[in-house]
Amino acid sequence: MNQTDKPIANPIVVLREEFDDWAVLFNPDTAGALGTNPVGVAVWKRMDGKRSIGDIISEIRDCFEDAPDAAPEEITAFIRTLEEKGFVGLDVERK
Amino acid sequence: MLKAMRTPRNLDIDITARCNLRCRYCYFFNNTAVDYRDLPTGEWLQFFDELGSLGVMNVTLAGGEPFIREDLIPLLEGLVRNRMRYSLLSNGALIDDEKAAYIARTGRCESVQISVDGSCAAVHDTCRGPGAFEGALRGIRTLSRQGMTASVRVTIHRYNLDDLENIARFLLEELGLPGFSTNSAGYLGTCRLNADDVMLTAAERQAAVSTLLRLAEKYPNRISASAGPLAEGLTWRRMEGARRQNAAAFPNGGRLSACGCPSSKISVRADGAIVPCCMLAHIELGRINRDSLAEIWQNSPPLNRLRIRQAIPLTEFEYCAGCSYVPYCTGNCPGLAYTITGEIDRPSPDACLRHFLEEGGTIP
Repeated sequence: MNQTDKPIANPIVVLREEFDDWAVLFNPDTAGALGTNPVGVAVWKRMDGKRSIGDIISEIRDCFEDAPDAAPEEITAFIRTLEEKGFVGLDVERK
Repeated sequence: MLKAMRTPRNLDIDITARCNLRCRYCYFFNNTAVDYRDLPTGEWLQFFDELGSLGVMNVTLAGGEPFIREDLIPLLEGLVRNRMRYSLLSNGALIDDEKAAYIARTGRCESVQISVDGSCAAVHDTCRGPGAFEGALRGIRTLSRQGMTASVRVTIHRYNLDDLENIARFLLEELGLPGFSTNSAGYLGTCRLNADDVMLTAAERQAAVSTLLRLAEKYPNRISASAGPLAEGLTWRRMEGARRQNAAAFPNGGRLSACGCPSSKISVRADGAIVPCCMLAHIELGRINRDSLAEIWQNSPPLNRLRIRQAIPLTEFEYCAGCSYVPYCTGNCPGLAYTITGEIDRPSPDACLRHFLEEGGTIP
């Protein structure tokens, strides 16, 4: 089986959204936690194993009018960080 | 106002009103405001589902003695299923291999705290009753067999003050624990009824502070405290140092800012009453499964009053008039302020440095 580029959020991870649209991602199995801004929250909610990283970037640019030019690199780096922490996996190709 | 999170991050739950011991300085029993009864398993599991939906991260189960609940494993399963981590506060005696093995398997347990108040039964059992010391050691060993290290808490009182050196040696050298924490018998619950007998006098508190500061140097980073003589000794040293240098006020100094709990944490009594803190168990904010926890957290007037409390300047109080420590003081615990003075919005005399000095204490 080959990995796709479709990230999928670890279902055990808790998204704690706060009043100011920032949030904490919390993995109860490891006690690991990561604070994230509203863009990160929007990315997190799109990691359903159906959207590719490119799809997610495209949707984020549509949602956030003031997204910087570096948004694709920043979003990709964010997803890689989540992957390293075990918060996200990449879906596998089903034949 | 103290900025609160959208929902509480942590909960303290008195999961039972039953206990196998009747300790003479227990903070839990003999509170006339509390209805001492247990809720059935289903009520708690329903509530844990609500906690999961709110993104609560950590729950501490206390009581009473949590291991007295026959349904402890199903209750813990409810926390695990709802993506939370948990801690347990225990006297150790009822921890068996089945429960310890389950707790270890979950991988979600932050700590199991066991109270050890003496280096031997003769000291430990003085205030906890016959067999309590053996029970505590049995609990520590049972956890150890399942690969867990107990978090030991030593509560200091008149009958173990002279045993502190032995306790440290016993816990850290003989049992080989990585560390332990300390506090002292506080003017709450059953302890209020036995205060003259068990609580430290000023001279005894002085001795406890000195001994614990010395032991903390002897065993670096292995003895901790967030309240009680060791915490007071460390804080008072900082306050006295700042006062002598006429230093700028501490960031939270000069206000009733000691308690940050209402910004991140809330409590539930064994009967299901939601309260700000187990030390303010008379303030009923609502009931589980009847009232929305999120609604209480965000809009409860008593809870918001506690959040505003930290803006109240100490200079408002006659009690603090002329005190040179005011810029470095946070007014101490609101729970003890209430039980000692009958008022929440005022400084607690319990850990007051000036009061300690006036009673003949000195800062080591």
